[in-house]
Amino acid sequence: MLSRILRFELVDAQQQRAKLRDLGTAVLDSEYPAITCLLFRNQDNQDTALAWEHVRSFDLRAGRITVDDLQQGQPVLADAQQGIVWLCRDILDALVIDLQNRRATRANDLWLEQEDGQLCLKGADTSARAILRRLSRGRFGLVRKSGIYDWKYIEFLRGDPHARQSGTGEHLRIQRLPVGEIARLTDPLPYLHAAELLTLLPDKIAADTLEIMSPERQLQVFEELDEAQALRLLELMAPDIAADLVGRLEPDTARRYLNHLSRKQSERIVELLRYPETTVGGIMTNDVVSIAADMTVAQARRVLCDRLKEPDFVHFIYVVADETSRKLRGVVSLREIFIAEETRKVEDLMNPYVVSLQPLGAAREAAYQVITSGLAALPVIGSEARLIGAVTVDAAVALAAPATWGSQAPRIFS
Amino acid sequence: MQETTPHGLEPLEELDLSTLPVRPRTVSTSLRLNIRGRSVRLRGLRQPPTGLLGWLLILGPGLIATSAGNDAGGIATYSQAGAQYGYDLIWVMLMITLSLAIIQEMCARLGAATGRGLLDLIRERFGLGWALFAVIIILIANGGLVVSEFVGIGAAMELLGFDKFFVIPLSAVVLWYLVIFGSYGWVEKIFILMTLVFFAYPVAAIMGHPHWNQVAHGAFVPTIHKDNDYIFMLVGLMGTTITPYMQLFQQSSLVEKGVARRHYGPERIDAYVGSIFSNLMSIFMIIATAATLHVAGKTQIDTAADAAKALEPVVGHAAKSLFAVGLLGASLLAGAVLPLATSYAISEAFGVPKGVNLDFRRARIFFGLFSALIVIGAGLAMIPGLPVIQLLVGIQVLNGVLIPVILVFILLLINDERLMGNLKNTRTYNFLGWGTCAVITLAVLAMLGGQLLQHFGVIGSK
Repeated sequence: MLSRILRFELVDAQQQRAKLRDLGTAVLDSEYPAITCLLFRNQDNQDTALAWEHVRSFDLRAGRITVDDLQQGQPVLADAQQGIVWLCRDILDALVIDLQNRRATRANDLWLEQEDGQLCLKGADTSARAILRRLSRGRFGLVRKSGIYDWKYIEFLRGDPHARQSGTGEHLRIQRLPVGEIARLTDPLPYLHAAELLTLLPDKIAADTLEIMSPERQLQVFEELDEAQALRLLELMAPDIAADLVGRLEPDTARRYLNHLSRKQSERIVELLRYPETTVGGIMTNDVVSIAADMTVAQARRVLCDRLKEPDFVHFIYVVADETSRKLRGVVSLREIFIAEETRKVEDLMNPYVVSLQPLGAAREAAYQVITSGLAALPVIGSEARLIGAVTVDAAVALAAPATWGSQAPRIFS
Repeated sequence: MQETTPHGLEPLEELDLSTLPVRPRTVSTSLRLNIRGRSVRLRGLRQPPTGLLGWLLILGPGLIATSAGNDAGGIATYSQAGAQYGYDLIWVMLMITLSLAIIQEMCARLGAATGRGLLDLIRERFGLGWALFAVIIILIANGGLVVSEFVGIGAAMELLGFDKFFVIPLSAVVLWYLVIFGSYGWVEKIFILMTLVFFAYPVAAIMGHPHWNQVAHGAFVPTIHKDNDYIFMLVGLMGTTITPYMQLFQQSSLVEKGVARRHYGPERIDAYVGSIFSNLMSIFMIIATAATLHVAGKTQIDTAADAAKALEPVVGHAAKSLFAVGLLGASLLAGAVLPLATSYAISEAFGVPKGVNLDFRRARIFFGLFSALIVIGAGLAMIPGLPVIQLLVGIQVLNGVLIPVILVFILLLINDERLMGNLKNTRTYNFLGWGTCAVITLAVLAMLGGQLLQHFGVIGSK
């Protein structure tokens, strides 16, 4: 246990002694990071790091680490050693995400094991026994294996979004969870931790996670990201959620982001931003898939193959008279296109009786209409039946019910 | 993308970002204050209102919070201060208001910059030992306050003619049930309505015809009495106005609201206005009791009935029952919020699940702490023959003794560059913050020294 090792003594060949203060590890890309250096205070009362290569033996029973020469240690300057993670300073007592139990908790103690002459970080003890053990200096609170969680399934965050950048090859097990679960896990975390997690996740997952967070959280987290990443995420987000987010940024920042986004995405966002938030236009997405009515199924499939690569919402394909007037003619589901004979026309396939919404109608009523319709979305049409977007059931539910579990919980402090 | 023509909106010709429509950052732009652990919203204070009604509509919630914010301990301490020393302590209240504003602002800043609660930060920056120390301090301070709330409930009910040994356990069970099973929301509004009675204090202060020049003298010319009781009272006033609990609450409420560090700014004004609001009622309470009790020569308040006499100029014989209603409302309010906030903060420091929306099995420590605080608080309040007012004042003094400890943590954290970045304390803030800390520490030491000397008979009590 780290709490025990921290009481160890360093002894070198000249019988000089020093007290171990911390253990450092530089590599976070393996499942069980190995300790690379020891921290102690030299005679001048200066923090000094000694590389692991100098360790001769590691005596658990006597509580002693024998090293070559304590003089070989390098003094550690305040914040010079960026690459090193100090177990005691950075991980012990910090917030960690325990993926096995799907919860945010604290690392009350750390479990280290010797492996091929290396000391590896194997697990984190999150139990109350660990607290007792540390307070009693090991007299009480015996180690119980059941209270220790495998380090493989622990995500550790520092609460600084700029501490590490993505692509450092770290093992992030969390990205295997569904995005909704990731968003839920970040809910009890401070926003800086949540932002840090987003910087570490691949952009696609980060964008989807950001979409699911509550609007206040989105804003807090988004503003902590650096601009390049923020732009990448905005590009990947659904335009309706991106518009809500951009609309809440400072006007200057919002303008800068919109200028740097791809023309398509920024046009979509600006288009949506023009509608007041309480109208149908304020909750619709304008990233919908449409095809012309006079196509055959075979043509439609070919066109759709390209179109379906990007948009989020693909349950329904709206059939329009032609791509310039975009007059809504009917709706067809993806499944219908898929199973129909190739020679049939889209017109014959589609359902021409479409319930549609007005862009300036009340958002809340439209939301209930979408939910009660039992459909995945209702189209929004402007003058002359021009298709301009759709209100999805997700957007409707988000408006009708609080977005996340966190925002439903009763507030205690405000 | 195609150009579209929705009803009522012009088609989008060019991508013109200069006239970009902007949505409000938050749902409401109202001023959110934190007044003695009550969060209130003042709608649209940032645009000055017109007319008396406009002002009332806007300041109403804030004023109500000031009346609800004085808990049993506060009422007892301010009444005792007014009765014992007349207007002589008002200047202290003005000084404390400044200190409170500074400290509350620092806590708000800590909350915004880190997105975390106070105990959480202490755990991560200073380690487990210090965190445990802070938790114990908070438990003592807040536990004491919980006891004082139940004492207040008992005293109020006795004034109304009920037996406190029946009422205290009953109210403990009811509060526990209401908070845990989530129907607390509307009950809280009734409690707040009950505390509106305290608006009788400002009226009483005016109708009691105080000598306003004496009040002004008391407010601006420091008068120092050289006796132990005075210093005791001083620490009590500090303890009840700058409670450790309020710092905890202030920081957590900023975290819960989700204020980001890049947009910290308006909260600064909120903290200042909140502190001033919070002390308005207290000062009126002192003036009202000074103008009635102190002038009449009654300098020692022993029971709640004595304290109620300050309201007599306004409501005459109804003073007792009205005072009881207000005291009951205030005590019930704080009796629910205090244990909840305390167990929340402590659970946060130990990283265990927290929140009233969880079930018992998942959040054993949180619910255990909450229940224990209520049970122990109610239990201690039922000890027979307690000197009510002295006990209430004593608990505030205990809070006063513990403030410097929490303040040192706050000041160390807020000067941590790694944590705060550009929101680190400026020199002025540090000066005022450490100054406050030093003054309170000195007062506490003087009090403890005086008590010791008196105990060993070195100096007399007066």
